[in-house]
Amino acid sequence: MSRLRAIAAAAVLVLAALPAALSDFWIFIAIEVIAFALYAVSFNVLLGYGGMLSFGHAAFFGVGAYAGALVVKKAGLAPEAAFALVPLAAMAAAAGVAAVVGFFSVRRSGIYFGMLTFAFQMLLYTIALKATGLTGGDDGITGLKPPGALARPAVYYFFAITMVAPALYVLYRLVNSPFGITLRALKANPRRVQYVGVDVRSHQLATFVISGAFAGLAGAVFALSSGNVFPAWLNWTASATPIVMAVLGGVSTFLGPALGAAVYVVLEVVISGRTEYWPLVMGTIILALVLLMPAGLTGLWRRKGTS
Amino acid sequence: MSDAAAPILSVRALSRRFGGLQALGGVDLEVARGEFRAIIGPNGAGKSTFFNTITGLIRPDGGRVAFAGRDVTCMAPDDLVRAGMGRTFQITSVFADLSALENVQVALLAQARQSWRIWPRAGAMNAERAAELLALVGLAGSAARHAGTLAHGDQKRLELAIALAGEPTLLLLDEPTAGMAAQERIESISLVHRVALQLGVSCVFTEHDMAVVFAVATRITVLHQGLVLAEGTPAEVRANPQVQQVYLGESVIAEGVGT
Ligand SMILES: Nc1ncnc2c1ncn2[C@@H]1O[C@H](COP(=O)(O)OP(=O)(O)OP(=O)(O)O)[C@@H](O)[C@H]1O
Ligand SMILES: [Mg+2]
Repeated sequence: MSRLRAIAAAAVLVLAALPAALSDFWIFIAIEVIAFALYAVSFNVLLGYGGMLSFGHAAFFGVGAYAGALVVKKAGLAPEAAFALVPLAAMAAAAGVAAVVGFFSVRRSGIYFGMLTFAFQMLLYTIALKATGLTGGDDGITGLKPPGALARPAVYYFFAITMVAPALYVLYRLVNSPFGITLRALKANPRRVQYVGVDVRSHQLATFVISGAFAGLAGAVFALSSGNVFPAWLNWTASATPIVMAVLGGVSTFLGPALGAAVYVVLEVVISGRTEYWPLVMGTIILALVLLMPAGLTGLWRRKGTS
Repeated sequence: MSDAAAPILSVRALSRRFGGLQALGGVDLEVARGEFRAIIGPNGAGKSTFFNTITGLIRPDGGRVAFAGRDVTCMAPDDLVRAGMGRTFQITSVFADLSALENVQVALLAQARQSWRIWPRAGAMNAERAAELLALVGLAGSAARHAGTLAHGDQKRLELAIALAGEPTLLLLDEPTAGMAAQERIESISLVHRVALQLGVSCVFTEHDMAVVFAVATRITVLHQGLVLAEGTPAEVRANPQVQQVYLGESVIAEGVGT
């Protein structure tokens, strides 16, 4: 336990000192890591804990991003007020959309569940692309800027942490709660869990909505850092990202997907800066990972720790 | 609603067809409170289908099911369980990835309507009661083991503990001793019997081993090709020529006499 505390304390120190040590470019990357860590962990609550493989999770990340962008650009509020509303608006919008998508999707399981989430995502992608008046269509929404000092990456970095850390804590409590243990039981054996008196669909739907809401928050945190939102964020290829991050880090640990997000984002920056064959490299890494260590990076660590 | 005088289970004309196969052809069955009822019959007789239609896993084509005087035909499984009907499956069904203790905790949390709480840590919740239930079925030493790693017989016992955690008034056990060695079977069913008596739970179970059936059943129903062929006390059923005919190995029935 005290070792865990020491690690946590060290992590806090490193996170606090990081902006001082990094260039603006790398701070920007660090913010991306923070946002995608939440995205991957929220996705993995669905996959790793609930056994539901969504092929459309980018929809919620994207809806959150657009909701945040629209509040900043079109709500007609003072910049500070609009900015304060962003997290709430992003989560509410993503949760609302997730409630509709989830309502239909949890009626099926396995690949059919995945296909339903996939189909809904294509609908939402089309809306983002075609509802030009609202979303800017193909051009997306650009020129987003947090107010005042928050526009500086080194400051926004801390804002991102104050958004993401409590969100991760809530999800952590969730997976260890009665709700969470019931979710794991549901994943292990949906029929049996129904026969202990659990309403399986409601439980799955609630998980879906919570997961979607936090993916939406991640989307908004990232959008305001990058300064823009594009329809491609909702495209189906974007939904592979949280899957890869979760598998890379390990779906059977809570923070594994966060580690996966960090590795993925940094690798992408480093490799795509050097070669145009980034997808080739990523493909090779995923192959090696799934074949050699299916439990992901954290699985490797845990195996070392126990042996 | 629930009626203390009504039989715990009353089934009328229950039928179910699978394609061209009439798995249940209109089954009537009444179980009094406190009974320990065995349902026997050859493979494919419709025993599991009978359980599955009663417990909402599959829809009956026709017929009614009353549980403690209340019509529960086609009720959703989770509602039935919360109303007090517990069951186990012919193919053992536990939460393989969870520890034995967690398996029972999940059921206790559902029973206490706490499955939706998202903040407290589940670890210690109901852990004492869960440990008691594990001890009751003889799994005290295996609480921390992953359910999937338990021996087959222990998984069956764990599933019993899970079912008991729901505080059922009626327990439906589909082949509670399947896959066990002969001696283990008698021990297991005696355990179920003891626990059911202790907790005042009525019980209906299916079973192929006649020694097991005659060891504990208060009444026996014989299913054959989706119909009730005979019903009565163990002595009556044993003496029934039709039953002896269905069970070509009559000696199987006769063997049970001694135990
Ligand atoms: N879901 C299903 N779809 C199609 N046929 C089914 C289904 N379930 C059961 N059957 C058929 O219905 C008949 C009754 O099966 P059931 O499982 O109820 O028998 P049983 O008495 O439990 O047999 P056993 O002793 O082997 O467990 C069998 O012929 C079986 O093949
Ligand atoms: Mg059967």
